Amino acid sequence: MKPKDAILSASHVGMRFKGLVAVDDVSLAVARGSITALIGPNGAGKTTLFNCLSGFLPGAAGSVVFDGRRIDGLPPHRRSRAGLVRTFQIPRIFHRLTLIENMLVADRAQPGDALFGCFMRRGATLARTRAATEQARDLLALLSIERLADDYAGTLSGGQRKLLELGRVLMTDPKMILLDEPMAGVNPALGGKLLERVEHLRQERGITFLFVEHDMEMVMRVSDRVVVLDQGRVIADGPPDTIRADLRVIDAYLGRADLGASA
Amino acid sequence: MLEFWLFVLATAGIYTIFSLGLLVQFGIAGLPNFGNGAFMAISAYAMAISVVNGLPMWAAAPVGIGAAVLFGLLLAIPTVRLRSDYLAVATIAAGEIVRYLALNLQELTGGAAGTVNLLGPGIAADYNSSWLRFQSGVRGLISNLVGQRVPSDVAFIAILWPVALLLLAAVWYMVRSPWGRTLRAIREDETAVAALGKDVFAYKLQAFSVGAALAGVAGLFFAWQVSSFSPDDFRPTLTFYAFVIVILGGKTNVWAVPVGAVLFAGIFAGTRFLDFWPLSVFASGDRAYLRLVLVGLGLIVLVIWRPQGIFGNRREDALET
Amino acid sequence: MLDQLLQLVFNGLVTGSIFAIGAIGASLVWGVLRIGNFAHGDYMALGAFTTFTANVLLGLPLVVSALLGVAATSLFAVLAHQLVLKPMRGRGLTSVFIVTVGLAFVIRNTLFLVFGSGARRFDIDQAEVYVVGPIRMSPGQAITIVCALIAIGLVGWLLSSTNIGRSMRAVAENSDLAAVTGVDTDGLATITWLITGALAGLAGICLGLVQGTFDASFGAYTLFLIFTAVVLGGIGSAYGALGGGLALGLVMEVSTWDGFAGGLDPRYKLILAFIALILMLLVRPEGLFGKARIV
Ligand SMILES: Nc1ncnc2c1ncn2[C@@H]1O[C@H](COP(=O)(O)OP(=O)(O)OP(=O)(O)O)[C@@H](O)[C@H]1O
Ligand SMILES: [Mg+2]
Repeated sequence: MKPKDAILSASHVGMRFKGLVAVDDVSLAVARGSITALIGPNGAGKTTLFNCLSGFLPGAAGSVVFDGRRIDGLPPHRRSRAGLVRTFQIPRIFHRLTLIENMLVADRAQPGDALFGCFMRRGATLARTRAATEQARDLLALLSIERLADDYAGTLSGGQRKLLELGRVLMTDPKMILLDEPMAGVNPALGGKLLERVEHLRQERGITFLFVEHDMEMVMRVSDRVVVLDQGRVIADGPPDTIRADLRVIDAYLGRADLGASA
Repeated sequence: MLEFWLFVLATAGIYTIFSLGLLVQFGIAGLPNFGNGAFMAISAYAMAISVVNGLPMWAAAPVGIGAAVLFGLLLAIPTVRLRSDYLAVATIAAGEIVRYLALNLQELTGGAAGTVNLLGPGIAADYNSSWLRFQSGVRGLISNLVGQRVPSDVAFIAILWPVALLLLAAVWYMVRSPWGRTLRAIREDETAVAALGKDVFAYKLQAFSVGAALAGVAGLFFAWQVSSFSPDDFRPTLTFYAFVIVILGGKTNVWAVPVGAVLFAGIFAGTRFLDFWPLSVFASGDRAYLRLVLVGLGLIVLVIWRPQGIFGNRREDALET
Repeated sequence: MLDQLLQLVFNGLVTGSIFAIGAIGASLVWGVLRIGNFAHGDYMALGAFTTFTANVLLGLPLVVSALLGVAATSLFAVLAHQLVLKPMRGRGLTSVFIVTVGLAFVIRNTLFLVFGSGARRFDIDQAEVYVVGPIRMSPGQAITIVCALIAIGLVGWLLSSTNIGRSMRAVAENSDLAAVTGVDTDGLATITWLITGALAGLAGICLGLVQGTFDASFGAYTLFLIFTAVVLGGIGSAYGALGGGLALGLVMEVSTWDGFAGGLDPRYKLILAFIALILMLLVRPEGLFGKARIV
């Protein structure tokens, strides 16, 4: 793929913890509007790579270009503002805020979000709150948690928290979303529905997805491309069918036997 | 008895404004600032020093608040990223530094003897005569209105409480606004807020400054209420009391703050009324210690068994992480 | 002037040992149990006042009184843990800190209530002076040095040669790891408080002896110096607290030496210590001697 087709291109990204090399010289380009899966055994460095890309590891090496701009060196919120947003493997929700409030925090077009904004732009704040609340309710409905909209997020189950996090990143109107095991703990029927939704968002809004997933079935079904990480290195990269056949991958999996035999 | 209640109301008004600042910092934004009393001190001193150096009172007042905010930012910039227990210790230490500096910089502050010494020992310094003139004007107005001469404390309260209520309303509105919501989200999980594209550091500085500004306003009224104050009026216990008030109300409940403040000021002004058995066993000086023992016990009981405070929401607080 | 320096170094080692004894316990509870204990200084005062009761009011010998004081503080610390701090398990760092503020209020003002606000002293001859070479030493200082050596030796043995001590260090260094490897956290907490209370009590007694007089708030005044020693040594590190305490004591005393351009105005000693505390929290919360830890 030529760099100009790529919305995200990372080169020579690396991260080490004390002696451990968690991400080892990873170069990766993600095509605009694509759905890419990132797979690999536990501890392969997938989450660490996400942390490097989204700016949560200031010590990371290498360069990252997103949407034509260098973003390595930028703090996490600036990368997020640039349109590259992420979710977390262990969902990070705002426990003592309601679901709706959780969603509204992600709203970027809210003038009342500034200090004294609620006084200085009172009308605009109220209008935006109305519009955003409607949008948030629609998204919650899509995720099948709208009946909990006014409950505290801390009361949600693990799977529901995953869904809320997904809803929250969608509220930010992103260009690209990094999803860290979005389906872990989510009921398979709903998972299927969400996959359709991901496809749909990609088509309608051109959102690019890079997601970590252990369920090979799901990976093979939705992704245009699969990247395999093992011990911090990219060991395979290609269309799902090629990867399925790739012996090294099977070896990496079966050798450690921690992903089951689904590959 | 009337005198007693007037004193309670005046003290409670000052505590209300001061605790409101803490509510924004601690209750809403999750920043346990145990040095907020220092901003009250800085504002009071900056105002008093400006006045004795020739600035009119109404110009000196914003100078005081500005100084409080400035020092607030100075403290917040390095510390708001700290883990919460480190922040607590660092802010108490910062507050103590301010107090010790005020004690030692005698030429500037009058030292331990207090602000009567602002112009040096032997020269009676007076920073609140224009305040007293204003206050007696208000007193005259009220006296005319009710057709009877009212105590000067009534005038003080009549100026203080409208300001306090205005600030309460403003903070209430801000806390409910999207800005307040983002602060509450930061309190819950700042990493997630950053991931959603908000500048967590900037929000924390804003919350800290708003709290410092409110402490500054409280400091002005405190300085006006008394005619001389000294660094020891701003011991760490001052901030602890504000914590008790905020926790009493359930940490995020703006309208509970004045209730807690009145209760607290009542307990504090009222040891001489605590003369019934079994408290009468103690000498009146000892009852002062006794009430602090009770405040400590109350704080412990409240935090352990009723973290939602008197008015708070049990369900919400069960979700504290 | 050199004699003055030697004397200051000696004084610094004495106050430093007191900081160290106080700081070891404070550091253990902060690191092992995640409790920044605001009442730690008041535990020290409790030790001094129970000893005072036995020594002066009941007329027992100082050594017996001190042992009673240490035991009482130790038991009190365990009791406070069971009644007040254990129910706070799993709550935020701030809530726990606030509970210890309440505890501090209760202890300090109960002491004021019972013993009044006047200055108290132990039953020893304050005027006596031992002269060793160029150094003049009060009986309180001599006792402190002996106590410090014994206490530090005991703690060192406990942490390095017993199972419970090893688990404590494991938890202080990595609580997740310790949870996985199945440390008995409840028993560990009780023993940590037992040790911490005893050390705090001892520190309070020694401080009372060295200062000569004390009132119920004298421990609270020392709290932030203790915290400074804890943070200098790295929160959770007993040996760090030892080093941090000694270093702090030395620096605070020696800074007033005339040899340093007339010496630092003693009034600014405290301010300097507080600035050091804040700077350490900002830059190296793992302490001067600790290794940097990621996350
Ligand atoms: N903050 C950290 N400090 C030290 N080591 C870390 C840190 N974060 C990750 N590691 C280590 O880096 C390696 C990669 O971890 P990472 O979480 O990226 O794996 P992963 O591929 O996401 O695994 P999983 O599928 O289990 O989520 C692991 O060995 C892990 O222990
Ligand atoms: Mg992972």
